[in-house]
Amino acid sequence: MKKKKIGVYICHCGGNISDYVDVEKVRAAIADEGIVLLSKTTMFACSDSNQRDMVEDIKANDLDGVVVASCSPKLHLQTFQNVSMRADLNKYTYVHANIREQASWAHSDDKMGATEKAIHLVRAAIAKSRYAEALESTKVKAIKKVAVIGAGIAGLKAALSLSEKDCDVILIERNSVVGGHVAEFTSLSTTTETGYQIITRLYSEVLKRGNISLLTNSEVIENKGSVGNFSLKIRKITNNDNQEIIDVNVGSVLMATGFDSYTPGEGEYGYKSLENVITLVDFKKMIDSQNGKLVYNGKQIRDIVYIYCVGSRQSDGGNTYCSRNCCTSTIHASIIARHKFSDINNYHFNRGIRTYGKQEILYAESLGSGDIYLQFNEDSIPEISVNGDKAIVKINDILSANREVEVEADLVVLVGGMVPRADNSVGSLFKLPKGRDRFYNEVHMKLRPVETAIDGITIAGACQGPKNITESVNSALAAATKSYSILSKGELETSPLIAVIEEDKCSWCGACQEACPFDAIHMEEKEGRTIAQINNTVCKGCGMCAPVCKPDAINLIAYSSSEIMSMIDALA
Amino acid sequence: MEKNIDKTSYDALVIGAGIAGGEAALNLANTGYKVLLVDKELSVGGKMIMLSKVFPTLDCSACITTPKVSEISRHSNITIFTGAQASNIRKIGEKEFTARINKQPRYVHIEDCTSCQLCEEACPVSVSDQYQYGLIGRKAAFIPFSICSPKAAAIDIENCTLCGACERACPTNCIDFTMEPEIIDIKVKTVVLATGFKLFDPLDIPRYGYGKFKNVITAMQMEREIAPTRPFNTILRPKDGKVPDKIAYVLCVGSRDASVGNPICSQICCMYSIKQAQLLMGALPMADVTIYYINIRSFGKGFEEFYQQAKGMGVNFVKGKIGRITEKENGNLILRYEDINSGKLQEEEHDMVILSTGVLPNEGISELFEGDTLGLDKFNFIGQSDALAGPSRTSIDGVFVAGTASGPMDIPDSILSAGSASSEAISYLIQHS
Ligand SMILES: Cc1cc2nc3c(=O)[nH]c(=O)nc-3n(C[C@H](O)[C@H](O)[C@H](O)COP(=O)(O)OP(=O)(O)OC[C@H]3O[C@@H](n4cnc5c(N)ncnc54)[C@H](O)[C@@H]3O)c2cc1C
Ligand code: SF4
Ligand code: SF4
Repeated sequence: MKKKKIGVYICHCGGNISDYVDVEKVRAAIADEGIVLLSKTTMFACSDSNQRDMVEDIKANDLDGVVVASCSPKLHLQTFQNVSMRADLNKYTYVHANIREQASWAHSDDKMGATEKAIHLVRAAIAKSRYAEALESTKVKAIKKVAVIGAGIAGLKAALSLSEKDCDVILIERNSVVGGHVAEFTSLSTTTETGYQIITRLYSEVLKRGNISLLTNSEVIENKGSVGNFSLKIRKITNNDNQEIIDVNVGSVLMATGFDSYTPGEGEYGYKSLENVITLVDFKKMIDSQNGKLVYNGKQIRDIVYIYCVGSRQSDGGNTYCSRNCCTSTIHASIIARHKFSDINNYHFNRGIRTYGKQEILYAESLGSGDIYLQFNEDSIPEISVNGDKAIVKINDILSANREVEVEADLVVLVGGMVPRADNSVGSLFKLPKGRDRFYNEVHMKLRPVETAIDGITIAGACQGPKNITESVNSALAAATKSYSILSKGELETSPLIAVIEEDKCSWCGACQEACPFDAIHMEEKEGRTIAQINNTVCKGCGMCAPVCKPDAINLIAYSSSEIMSMIDALA
Repeated sequence: MEKNIDKTSYDALVIGAGIAGGEAALNLANTGYKVLLVDKELSVGGKMIMLSKVFPTLDCSACITTPKVSEISRHSNITIFTGAQASNIRKIGEKEFTARINKQPRYVHIEDCTSCQLCEEACPVSVSDQYQYGLIGRKAAFIPFSICSPKAAAIDIENCTLCGACERACPTNCIDFTMEPEIIDIKVKTVVLATGFKLFDPLDIPRYGYGKFKNVITAMQMEREIAPTRPFNTILRPKDGKVPDKIAYVLCVGSRDASVGNPICSQICCMYSIKQAQLLMGALPMADVTIYYINIRSFGKGFEEFYQQAKGMGVNFVKGKIGRITEKENGNLILRYEDINSGKLQEEEHDMVILSTGVLPNEGISELFEGDTLGLDKFNFIGQSDALAGPSRTSIDGVFVAGTASGPMDIPDSILSAGSASSEAISYLIQHS
């Protein structure tokens, strides 16, 4: 084998690196390492001009690989892999050294030390580069079909949008009808359509689409496989309570299982114990179904107290978050009540109104029409007692120097927020991670809000966190785009950086299977022996399995023991 | 990179290369469509690339934007024109739009510029730097900002005296004063509007003293002061370069205020102010930070917890409306406000004041269209024709809206909205092919 020749580039990163690390000294220190043919410093390694120079250097000197010492590989590993590819090198011949986060930023109080550490990090990268080989990614077939779980507004929209992209959809709904919560809403803000009408409009569209198969009364009960090919078992309850098991294979799964409305605990603000205390959900149904006079339990309702943030924004207990949508829905409902019925007085006992964005107009309208807003803190919540057929609600109003205010109410409406589905077992089937708030978690909160840590599974609507209809639909369409773009080419590339089993060393103890967070390892019988088998499309190359393997039968491609040992030697 | 491919027909035209336009372009390009992405600025990245860290994760904004930006810039299906505007967009039949792109000359050949900054050094003209929101100056020959893309110099021809110093200093001869504006007529099948927002101009509320009192700055200026690519190495108040130690935030400046014509809530300013307050407490451990607010709108995922965290760190929250700001001789500022909790008028002295200005629609977007009318909502954001069930649809079939062009929103909501717009655009392309 001919001797390897590599190029090494050491980045100033403006001054981010060179203010603390003497980059020239680093370059001089490594310039004579065995395989280094060429070494350079550069102001911004990632700049277009430097990238162009790199391509020229690689071609002119017939280099076998390059090392760039710069910022975190999270930012620019791909950038320089792409540079290598543009110079006709295999991208896995590229090795990255992070001397910004790990040297200059970490040791900004010790320039000598930072420089010394940078030299070692670059040496280690060069040591790795010695072993780095060309690797090819494998291609697997991707089934152009998506399972959408949940047929609320998000699921319906996601299904329609995929269907328009000529992608087959299987839409799975646990209930006997579609539409989720929205189907129950009569009046909505920002439109004259009712929730039921919107759902009907979408549902009749779904029925027209030949490529959507809708399964109601159905639940996913088993999942095997991975991105490109998930094998699902679905249990459908048929007419006479019989059940039917349906097997389907899909390339991607889009979760749109929605939320539960918060149900107050018994006695929470008199819920269930006092007659005139109801939830916002019940109140909305009440105002939608009545006309003329608003009547509850046979009595006319005039004075209504709304207590906000019930079950939300609590420092103790599970729900620390704000449910985002309830301020607006309450104000909207109270405006309808005022318009629709005679003699209504609305009292809003709130913790700071959050009608963000254009919803502010509703708040302004409500204030303008004479609704009363009183505010409390979490540590002094309103108290409710009964007086005849009235409820007395007492509050220390922080908007007027904690003055005690009492309202005699005919009806108390508890504004509960959104909570994760009580039964979220379908998420566990797919190992979907949840956040502290117990909603499903996206993989990156800012930039990848519908993708999850599990390849091929996207999340849409309120199962990811409280959202209004517009926001749920946006996220449904965004998730549909991501699911579609995974499958649109009909095949997937999988990374070659995965774990491999040395079959003759393995005698199946199961430790690796337990360690694997992605369920990529299974037991297999092979030539009379029981050994571990790794599913290449599921394995992410995280390396969790390798250290637990007693007989050392697991290697990570591109991170073999010999590579790692040579890097450690260079660091020492 | 500005690539030299067929410059006249594309599947999609995306106008605006902020985070929303960038995301929409990527979604389209990753499904195989050819995209033309135009931005009127000299760099892609919109407002996000200029931010410090982002709420509520406190990720470094530049660090999470630049990989996106380089993905966009290098995508083989995306052509980018910076310093360019689209106009005369007209729907022809059911399947096609024509449009005219006006590309302003940069007077620098991007491919040849190594951004060595020698032209900057040579240029004798100094003007205020719009990319640092006026905190410092820049030259007429300048690199827009350190992480701009494309990373290349530009000549600000309006302020240039044509002395030729930059041309002589440039080692690669990439400066070219003979460049002319280019007009490119294009055909596309769908259009995504991602033209973003503009910030309220606090000069419109004279009683806050912005522009008159130097230590009253905007939150966007503070973003620059605390960004990793910041102009100074520390946080300074502009009047005397002193490090501030009693800082005030005034919320809802130009929002929720019918008297300045903007009755809606901007939905990001509470959170970005809380974020900045946390960053300031970290950078200046001795400083006091007070936020004067009407309501705190920490409604999104992780926001309420972020607000509580700020309180825990010692940020003061005062529910109060600021009436007037006056300046003392030493540059300190007196805030007169109505303390809502006590109902009393109060005064408080601070040595620096940050105005959390609100989100306004960009003007002139509907004028980009000919023939069909692009509808606006009553606040002049781009109108959503099916706000609930199809939020990115507009009054013109085949034209979709992404990000803050349809109303205030933060970064994740802009990404969702861009996902929504690109989903509709992809469906439209498939259905009309
Ligand atoms: C001070 C401040 C702090 C913030 N902090 C955070 C934060 O911490 N976290 C968070 O989530 N959000 C934050 N935000 C909000 C965030 O900036 C926005 O959500 C986001 O930038 C919106 O992206 P956009 O692409 O819609 O708009 P923009 O970023 O405005 O991008 C629009 C682009 O379109 C271009 N354009 C406009 N008109 C035309 C035209 N006619 N032709 C061509 N191009 C055009 C513009 O030049 C611009 O590049 C903050 C905002 C501010 C002001
Ligand atoms: S939206 Fe309003 S009512 Fe709902 S939790 Fe948030 S602050 Fe409370
Ligand atoms: S987000 Fe906060 S500061 Fe901004 S307008 Fe709304 S309430 Fe005011």
